[in-house]
Amino acid sequence: MRDNTLKYLLVLPAIVVVFATAIWPLIESLRLSFTVGRLSRPGSLEQYLGFENYIWAFLYEPAFWNSVWVTTIYTVLTVGLTTVLALGLALLLAPGGRFRSGVQTLLILPFAMSPALIGVSFRFMFNPEFGLFDAVFGVLIPPLADVSWLVDPVLAFAVCVMADVWGWIPFLTLVLIGGLASVPQDTIEAAQVDGASGWRVFRDVTLPQLAPVLAVVIILKSIFSLKTFDQIFMLTNGGPGTATQTLSHYIYFNGMKYGQIGYAASVAWLMVIPMIFLTYAYAKFVFRKE
Amino acid sequence: MIGRRRKQVMNAVQLALILIAILIMLVPIAWIFMAAFKNHIDVFQLKLFFTPTLENFGTVFEPPFFLGHKLMNSTIVAFVTVVFAIPIATMAAYSFSRFRLTGETTMLVVILATQFVPAVVIILPFFVMFRDIGLLDTRIGLILVNLAIVMPFAIWMIKGFIDGIPLDTEEAAMVDGSSRLQVIRNIVLPMAAPGLLTAGIFCFIIAWNEFLFALILTNKDAVTLPIGLALFKAEEGDLWNLLSAAGIIIMLPMFVLALIIRKYFVQGMTMGAVR
Repeated sequence: MRDNTLKYLLVLPAIVVVFATAIWPLIESLRLSFTVGRLSRPGSLEQYLGFENYIWAFLYEPAFWNSVWVTTIYTVLTVGLTTVLALGLALLLAPGGRFRSGVQTLLILPFAMSPALIGVSFRFMFNPEFGLFDAVFGVLIPPLADVSWLVDPVLAFAVCVMADVWGWIPFLTLVLIGGLASVPQDTIEAAQVDGASGWRVFRDVTLPQLAPVLAVVIILKSIFSLKTFDQIFMLTNGGPGTATQTLSHYIYFNGMKYGQIGYAASVAWLMVIPMIFLTYAYAKFVFRKE
Repeated sequence: MIGRRRKQVMNAVQLALILIAILIMLVPIAWIFMAAFKNHIDVFQLKLFFTPTLENFGTVFEPPFFLGHKLMNSTIVAFVTVVFAIPIATMAAYSFSRFRLTGETTMLVVILATQFVPAVVIILPFFVMFRDIGLLDTRIGLILVNLAIVMPFAIWMIKGFIDGIPLDTEEAAMVDGSSRLQVIRNIVLPMAAPGLLTAGIFCFIIAWNEFLFALILTNKDAVTLPIGLALFKAEEGDLWNLLSAAGIIIMLPMFVLALIIRKYFVQGMTMGAVR
């Protein structure tokens, strides 16, 4: 067989799978978003009503805006905290040596843990009666004793952010260690010889050269933060009330619990839009090297 | 002298910070490990020392929990997903790596982009379709949608491995009269085998931990382990000792697999943006 034919035949099955499992559902979701789309009413999936679902979300659904707000704050906080803490840890671990390399190996563990399980684990630790957190902080900081973490809206949100940051720091750290390794050592040494302080070396030499990797990390983490569902579902299930209801959770609830699949699809598509920009930015970094 | 003194202090501070980081990282995991070996009375007390019991690991497999059934579902779903994904991804990855295709960049970007589509967007139409054709609560249905999340990773990761295989052996074999397919079978596949195994393990972990699809598509017959966690609730609240035992059964195999492929984890997750 000629290579010219073969090369397309080899790609074909993958393209078919990607089309069937990702592109088709995207398009079909878009179609559903313009329908009445009630799961309980056959035929309503073909009953079109234009942009009404979108208008409904924008004008008449405080819960939608709540989830946009929750997701935004959640993303900003988790991306910011995870990046800064991971960068710190990466700087601590980058010098290598047996001890530090051993710690790097351990970093894989939280990342292999299913996010749903991370949610369970944090719910366990923050249990007001017999949770670990209560026992430790209740003793160290008495006002925190017997605080019902997951009952208070702000604290529950804080716990969700903590769980997310805990789960992602290890992975981001590993990426940044890789990034630090590619910063040429001689530029750092040159700056040190010139008498620059550790902080100046970091700010003026290391950080600018780390910028591309940092950008990749921030984009990637933003995407995963925006999508967050699993651990929220297991940790607070969006509650108390809707205090921790992210967009994914809001879509799940409307589509699956209330059976309003048309409306859920419209919100889902509103969520796809920021993803397109982030993906575009990410793709630029991936292809930069080729 | 002052300089050296300062350096020692800095070193000690660094070590202390690293130790704190390890502690924070391991405590939630250790907490689950401990609770899994406690009886249901000890769980409600913060004992660090207790008489460990293996009872919980037996109870979770008994009625009404039947964790064994979920374990089997998870294993079959993750395994079959990988068995389909890896060969398909390998063919595509080889082609992307070795040839110039019309629209190649577009295809690669689209494949990359599908990874970023929120799972909840993908699952809505699949739920409707599976309901209509009777694939709800089946392992086949779950495998099909799992391919959506696994394929982009597999293609990008394997492409990275094949990119790293030098061209000359392939070219030499072609000069000797081997066909392209023979070259792929006799030269590329053996050389890429460790990479394919790595990608397979990576995809297995992702499929094993998958939550949202299984939550929406299954309710009894095809329930997987992460969804099974929701079972351990009684009227008086969560059954933490059983929940923890189930948690260990979910995470321990993944820890082992992740350690095996740890060198490639970063590359896999970032799809080659960071090597």
